[in-house]
Amino acid sequence: MSADVDALEFIKSCESGVLQSDLWKALKIDSRKCSRIVAKLMKENLITRQLESIDGIRTYRLCYADKSNSKRFKSLMPVLIFEPCAGCIEECEPEHCAKLSEWIFSIVIGKEGTITAEDQPEDYGR
Amino acid sequence: MTIVEGTIHKAYIMKLVGDEGVRIVENIPEDEITDEHLAELTGISLNTVRRTLYLLYEHRLAIYRRKRDPDSGWLTYLWQLCPENFDKALESEAKRLLRNLEERLTYEKNNIFYACTEGCARFIFDEASEANFICPFCQGSLEYMENAKVVETIEKQKKELIHSL
Repeated sequence: MSADVDALEFIKSCESGVLQSDLWKALKIDSRKCSRIVAKLMKENLITRQLESIDGIRTYRLCYADKSNSKRFKSLMPVLIFEPCAGCIEECEPEHCAKLSEWIFSIVIGKEGTITAEDQPEDYGR
Repeated sequence: MTIVEGTIHKAYIMKLVGDEGVRIVENIPEDEITDEHLAELTGISLNTVRRTLYLLYEHRLAIYRRKRDPDSGWLTYLWQLCPENFDKALESEAKRLLRNLEERLTYEKNNIFYACTEGCARFIFDEASEANFICPFCQGSLEYMENAKVVETIEKQKKELIHSL
């Protein structure tokens, strides 16, 4: 495994992220190499970096980006169905789109629990 | 999936390229791979593999490099996934969905709806009244349908989408 992958795996394994100053020690690499790896992982949006001060020494807390990103876009899949507009190549008519209707209704049903599937007209998009 | 991680990312891939596409993506290594090799690995037809790869390419989730065989002169396409572009792609999907939800919200707020009691379809007031409140599909009756929860849901989804951008 390359040092990049090792670093990413290590950051990923730390629930609340890891200090950059601890990362190079844990990976047994020098701090300059660690900076290069961190820069590369950041460029690929795989990790996030936040300035932190430990005993007056400035360092960075590195967090695996997937966690925050998954949460960031959770509104695209609030229920089990992924939002229907992604990759859709049909003529777009949001007012009458049956797939969009189905998705909206599945959220209403999922969150309220008061509307049953039978309440939903098949071609609700009309 | 080795390269693509996270529930939303996986669901997005599934939405774009379907079941077979997911199997193809799961078999793309971190390094480059040819479409022929992917077809061999997955047992999925070369056409489907190519269609999937081009779909991913259109969404900037995969890239290719062409390599010419010096002996035969044939071109080989070497493919690679771009996991770093997933968030950008999701961002543009979120923007698109937001625009569509805005249009839909206006429609929901500006209309009164009547639905077939048999579940055939829903109609706006003008359509329902023109049909004498009788469903044109099953001849059942059309009754007033409350859409407050739909409006509320769209507004909430909109807020969450704006927050994610």
